[in-house]
Amino acid sequence: MPTNNPLPPKENALFKRILKCYEQKQYKNGLKFAKQILGNPKFSEHGETLAMKGLTLNCLGRKEEAYDYVRRGLRNDLKSHVCWHVYGLLQRSDRKYDEAIKCYRNALKWDKDNLQILRDLSLLQIQMRDLEGYRDTRYQLLVLRPAQRASWIGYAMAYHLLKDFSMALRILEEFRKTQSQPKPFDYEHSELLLYQNMVMREAGMHVNALQHLQEYEHQIVDRLCVCETKAELLLTLGRREEAAAIYRDLINRNPENKAYYKGYEEADHFWVSENPEDRIGFYKEISELFPRATTPRRLPLTFAIGESFKNLVDTYLRKELRKGVPPLFVVLRPLYSDPEKVKIIEELVTGYEQNLREVGCFDRGKTRQLQRAMEYVDKGLEHTPLLIELYVLKAKIYKHAGDMEEAVRMMDEAQSLDTADRYTNSKCAKYMLRAGLIQEACDMCSKFTREGVSAVESLNEMQCMWFQTECAAAYQRLGKWGEALKKCHEIDRHFTEIIEDQFDFHTYCMRKMTLRAYVSLLRLEDQLRSHHFYFKAARIAIQIYLHLHDHPLADSEQENNMDTENLTPSELKKMKRKQRKAQKKAEVEQQKQRAELERREQGKTKATDGELDGPKEEELIPDKLARTEEPLEQAIKFLRPLQNLLPECVETHTVAYKIYSRKGSKLLLMLQSIKRGIAADPNDPQLHTCLIRFYMHVKGQAELPAPVQTVIEQEMGKIYGSKDPKTLNEEFLSTNSCSLQHLLAGAQMMYLLDKSTQEKAISLATTLSSEIQGISLKTCCHVLESLKSGDFGCCDKTVQEYQMKCHSLFPCAAVFMNPSPKVVGDCAILTNGSVS
Amino acid sequence: MNIRCATPEDLMNMQHCNLLCLPENYQMKYYFYHGLSWPQLSYVAEDEGGKIVGYVLAKMEEDPEDSVPHGHITSLAVKRSHRRLGLAQKLMDQASRAMVECFNAQYVSLHVRKSNRAALHLYTETLKFSISEVEPKYYADGEDAYAMRRDLSEFRDKISSRADCSFSTYGTCLQGQLLCDRALVAGSV
Repeated sequence: MPTNNPLPPKENALFKRILKCYEQKQYKNGLKFAKQILGNPKFSEHGETLAMKGLTLNCLGRKEEAYDYVRRGLRNDLKSHVCWHVYGLLQRSDRKYDEAIKCYRNALKWDKDNLQILRDLSLLQIQMRDLEGYRDTRYQLLVLRPAQRASWIGYAMAYHLLKDFSMALRILEEFRKTQSQPKPFDYEHSELLLYQNMVMREAGMHVNALQHLQEYEHQIVDRLCVCETKAELLLTLGRREEAAAIYRDLINRNPENKAYYKGYEEADHFWVSENPEDRIGFYKEISELFPRATTPRRLPLTFAIGESFKNLVDTYLRKELRKGVPPLFVVLRPLYSDPEKVKIIEELVTGYEQNLREVGCFDRGKTRQLQRAMEYVDKGLEHTPLLIELYVLKAKIYKHAGDMEEAVRMMDEAQSLDTADRYTNSKCAKYMLRAGLIQEACDMCSKFTREGVSAVESLNEMQCMWFQTECAAAYQRLGKWGEALKKCHEIDRHFTEIIEDQFDFHTYCMRKMTLRAYVSLLRLEDQLRSHHFYFKAARIAIQIYLHLHDHPLADSEQENNMDTENLTPSELKKMKRKQRKAQKKAEVEQQKQRAELERREQGKTKATDGELDGPKEEELIPDKLARTEEPLEQAIKFLRPLQNLLPECVETHTVAYKIYSRKGSKLLLMLQSIKRGIAADPNDPQLHTCLIRFYMHVKGQAELPAPVQTVIEQEMGKIYGSKDPKTLNEEFLSTNSCSLQHLLAGAQMMYLLDKSTQEKAISLATTLSSEIQGISLKTCCHVLESLKSGDFGCCDKTVQEYQMKCHSLFPCAAVFMNPSPKVVGDCAILTNGSVS
Repeated sequence: MNIRCATPEDLMNMQHCNLLCLPENYQMKYYFYHGLSWPQLSYVAEDEGGKIVGYVLAKMEEDPEDSVPHGHITSLAVKRSHRRLGLAQKLMDQASRAMVECFNAQYVSLHVRKSNRAALHLYTETLKFSISEVEPKYYADGEDAYAMRRDLSEFRDKISSRADCSFSTYGTCLQGQLLCDRALVAGSV
């Protein structure tokens, strides 16, 4: 080993013991041996010992000292692979993977065949998706250890991930040949074969894949996968009859799997014939064979029409109703987009009468006849006053009508009828958050979270993202920016953590041979932040950061600056006293939590004996988050994953535009967002406002650098043609004259372009005419918000009038009540109000 | 409704469903551990919009004490809004069959809170489990658990006469049973 100063035998033995102690996690003992070496003045600067002491200290949580020792050790012995490896391990424990890779590479310079370092390096490379580097390292590992299974698999996997399928297949086949005849239930061998087959299919080698499957199917234990894959391949190869036979078998195996019916239909092509009854007949046959399966009875309802639909749905309803299935209409709801089918169902259901009242209300709830819906539910409640589903339903109806307060009351009622059911409890908490009752929601959740820890903390620990998203939205509506941001960052950290989670599986899956699942995991992790949980959190965070950029918090400003102007002095005093009290309470609570956290932290370090799970993360302090100096940079951090993973979503680009337009001199990025937005959805109302604003922005610019000028002119020519913004806006309004959302955007731009159009613009935005589509509670809220925010200049009287008109349209909606209830302007309560 | 084998992409949504429905929760890594060790054993039920409304998270027992290969149900949940559709049973049957086919499982085990009478009812009456022992203080809050088992020979018999994809156990093993999982469905580690 080319280390600078080898130790004499006695000290060398001690050094070996330090290594052993590290491996066995006896860190205290390790330090003792290190002291014995370093205590001798002759070796007090021995590099490798210093480095190992540092690494050991790191495991005991003494990070700063650890870095000091490791660096000092390295300085004293720059040619030691041990010192470099240790420095790499230290960086890795802090998740500084790029740095760690550099260290490992340096280590390998001094000991190029060190297996442990090569393995560690390959893990970091795959984690960071340095696929070329991974391939090279795996090659070295294969050369060094050709007898090991993992060497072959890892090398093949590298080529597979690089999409060099033929090389991957050659390696896999070479390896397979070395395998002896498998025993029965040889799961690992079976998985290897299926992985091989997966690579073949990804390479487009359908014929080979099918042959491969036929040749080895007796060695494959995953029967389901064999059948599914075979059927797919046969279908791709046009061998429809054979494919149909297998899909028929698969339906026998699991008659509730929709994909099998789809495959069967594709294979059999029987519905192409003029007579749809053939198709219905097939499903009838299956339902008779599997009377308990719902899919074969439900599927034909989507394509049957007229009389045959009526017959089918009649049979379906009768059967389900006889069983008494409350979620019946959850199942039928997707059919309601067809008015004819709604009519048929309604006729049938009203026909059944009597004990079927709850049925009717589902129907009406969806078709927006809220008044009648409510009557039906009440009748239902008279009949069975303790049916939780009816309260849940009532709550839902109130929610859709915009009366969150009443909705919460109903959900709470439902929840109280079965306190052992977490589902209803969760729904109740969600409604509370929608109504801005954050503390109440936490108390509700705490009935099911771990004792001794606050619900909020426990839910964070369990990565409970629905709660955190709803919380963030609730805080946002209340103007508690810091609190809301904290929730968004917590969600973002869950995603980071979940990406980190894959680390252990790089070695684990090679051992277990679950290679197909492993490849899916890698692909999933690459896309992880495309999950709607991330999207929702990012959207809220970006909105808030934009707001904070436009309205930074003043130094003394309380976060939720309440409207104190209209209060009498005594009221003001009372309020302040209340606030102080609340603050004190919150502080005590926080202290308690912190103590609890510390206690647990300690317990943890003891339990795992110094095993460190990544770096300690900075505490998220709401006030600090809200007072960030760089809100736009923070917004961009949340934006990036959306740009990379959700380019097909137009909102990604409209929010990107909003960020860049505030960043000054980001013309090209603004242009880029617009271009991408057009590719995603050229007719999006938000995008339209970006288009108009961008045009005005460019015109307002003084001089631009020549190259930028050229690009902008060229690209704008493509986007706008020769049209000026007014013409563009007129066109937008006339092509979308029946959509309220578009009218609102167009009207906003009309006023922006020409203040003299105020009256016309307002009348466009506030129309409630029956020809217009999209007059929903949500969109009307947006209109009201827009009027209030000054998008149309000063128009107090219009606001009142509009509010009254909306009130008669949505009589229960709190936002349109006059005078407005306390949480004004929170139309957003309904903005993500999906029925769920 | 759609019932299918869970993929790694489903795991996050299973966690979401679990957090909505059950008091025993796990971090994502634990779901990954299941999905990457026994990818065939976990199943999901989706609604028409592709939302997960029920799932079974299952594994094989590693190093079983009795050295008999057997499966274990880590968690089983069905959203309250989708009860009484027989989902729990359908999920369990698919998972059980995969345990037998892929891992030669002889039986499947699970734990249930002693106080959870609804779940107990489901397991004994509908899913043919029986209590094998009581595990004192099994849960974090100190409650005892029933350890339960279901013998899987009915699946094994069908598979021993296997002729490719053309055997069917579904119809026979489900017929003649009452649908009674109207109440809480909960099983967990």
